[in-house]
Amino acid sequence: MRNLNLSRLSKPIILVAFVVTLAILRPSSFLTISNFANVLWSVSVIGIMVCGTIFVFLLGGIDLSIGTLAGLSAVTVVEVIKNMGATNESVIIGVLAALGVGAAAGVVHGLIITKFDIPAFLVTFASQMVFLGLSMVITNNQIVSAREPVLFTAIGSMKVLGFPLPIYLMLLIAVGSWFVLSKTTFGRGIYAIGGNPVASEISGIQVKRSTVLCYVFSGVTAAIGGIVLAAMTQQGMASTGTGYETQVITAGVIGGVSLLGGVGTVSGCIYGAVLMGLINNALNLLSVPSTQSGLVQGLVIIVAVAFDALQHQDQSRRKARRILGRLGGDKANESPAA
Amino acid sequence: MKTHVKQTTLRRLISLVMLAILVALFGVLGGGSFLTPGNFSEILRDASVVGIIGVGVTYVIITAGIDLSTGSMMALVGMTMANVYAYTALPIWLMIVIGMVVGLVAGLINGLIVARLNVPEFIGTLATMGVFRAVTYLIAIKDAHGVIQSQPLTVPEYTVLGTSVGPLFVVTIVMALFIAAGQVVLKYTRFGTRLYAVGANRKAATLSGIDVARTRVIAYVIVGLCVSVGAIFTTARLQSTTALLGSGFEFDPIAAAVVGGVSLAGGSGDIVGTLIGAVFMATLENGVLKLHMNTAYQYIIKGVVIVLVVMLDALYKSRLERASRERGAQGGAEA
Repeated sequence: MRNLNLSRLSKPIILVAFVVTLAILRPSSFLTISNFANVLWSVSVIGIMVCGTIFVFLLGGIDLSIGTLAGLSAVTVVEVIKNMGATNESVIIGVLAALGVGAAAGVVHGLIITKFDIPAFLVTFASQMVFLGLSMVITNNQIVSAREPVLFTAIGSMKVLGFPLPIYLMLLIAVGSWFVLSKTTFGRGIYAIGGNPVASEISGIQVKRSTVLCYVFSGVTAAIGGIVLAAMTQQGMASTGTGYETQVITAGVIGGVSLLGGVGTVSGCIYGAVLMGLINNALNLLSVPSTQSGLVQGLVIIVAVAFDALQHQDQSRRKARRILGRLGGDKANESPAA
Repeated sequence: MKTHVKQTTLRRLISLVMLAILVALFGVLGGGSFLTPGNFSEILRDASVVGIIGVGVTYVIITAGIDLSTGSMMALVGMTMANVYAYTALPIWLMIVIGMVVGLVAGLINGLIVARLNVPEFIGTLATMGVFRAVTYLIAIKDAHGVIQSQPLTVPEYTVLGTSVGPLFVVTIVMALFIAAGQVVLKYTRFGTRLYAVGANRKAATLSGIDVARTRVIAYVIVGLCVSVGAIFTTARLQSTTALLGSGFEFDPIAAAVVGGVSLAGGSGDIVGTLIGAVFMATLENGVLKLHMNTAYQYIIKGVVIVLVVMLDALYKSRLERASRERGAQGGAEA
């Protein structure tokens, strides 16, 4: 129990330490309003996406396609707006179309993964390329700008009470996702599936249908992330959103999500997104080239997941010992079937 | 056992038929420019690097693993050699050796992360994919303003590796050697048997005395070796290297293995299958170029083809399983 309290406290401590260090290292650039806005924007896109992808993480699955899917949605929305003459209706139709793209992608992922029992990483790894290809074909490899109408650009740049709109969007999605995960049977079922899919199936949870729905959530939040990115930058192109999959995975892992499934909370993910945004900002302020972000993210992922795997092993080993002890066995080297 | 042999032969036939259909399709659509001996030797050349790296990747997939970092690893090997070339007076052979050592070390790192730290393969190698790429940028050769430069590697002793002997390119000959050696090791050595055993059932492999973690690490080290060789031939052909070398390349050897019938669940497939898959992928790329299609279509077609092949394999497998269950074979007793 003491251990638990310490690990709970460690999160705010790391966050505060991070902020203080940055403030000391770069006082003139870190502690400015415009930098604050930068951090929040970065946080909001990662946060929005991780709130949907957490469903997939909890299943023990993964969605590697969210980066290029965000790109495809960004391209969809800006193309619709451009081709419909930048009217207000075009924004609504464009946003709906982009959300539709995200949902459709999720349905396809979910169906392929569940009907054919194919590893999620392979399906989403392949679709990552398909989405990139589609975005390139749609835009003909050009940057499509969308500076009009205000209704669209406001999604990215409007401020409410001093905070950018995407932050509110993130909080809204986070609350929705938290509600679904902790207050509905469907949500609790997701944790159960991640913990033990076979037992969940037997106990009457509709594993396949839930799985498909999880990938739909992941796809839709990726699409929202793409729309926000397009609105912020007032443009869309095939490379919009590239690399977000790793950032989102890193945010999840920082927030305590187990990529082995069954463990993780929305609040943890938001914390992860905030820290991820700060890390991005720190790299930026300390003039570390953006090409180095993969190093930081990669190391964070490896350390966190290795630690998680170690704990997992420990747990199942202890369980095995307990069971074997009860049976009167003397060898407890191997964990029972997980 | 008898039916097992039949299945693998059937799967081999399926990949060959897929390749034949693809060649016929582009032959009809592309006409004269596709069906020429020169173009076929070109396709074989394009398939070669994927084939070489495919040997290692096939080993890893047979152990039920995956390696997403091969593209970045290629860039890392290339950039290390470029540094040796630009800043030292070491002979070319030593530069090549250093490149191969980097590949081996990178493979070892992957293996240790995955097999010793128990990080799931696709996550561990996704992370190192980012790490290797970042290190490549870190050591990339920059001009006085810190702008990354593409580093030429034009010494004739090196670029000779990118040329051809008669109708065959050097890289194709090397690939043939790799494929042959890879297949022999897989089928006729104890190590090969261990790879299959580890992939088919890790627990059973452990119980029968196989050091599972060690076997997996070695498989990743072999990927590193194959990637370094692939990187050498790629940079020799391009006569230069960039920090972006191999971006998105990680997909191709995996795709080649999958098309060639290597099961992602582990425990089945072989190197010859991957060779067919590599030629398939190269034909696809070549055909798209010859038809003057937007290269973006390559991405779409590749992605869709892979998922379709894996889906078909899954369908086929589940039908087989159902058939064997219906036959009331000793399935219950064995499970």
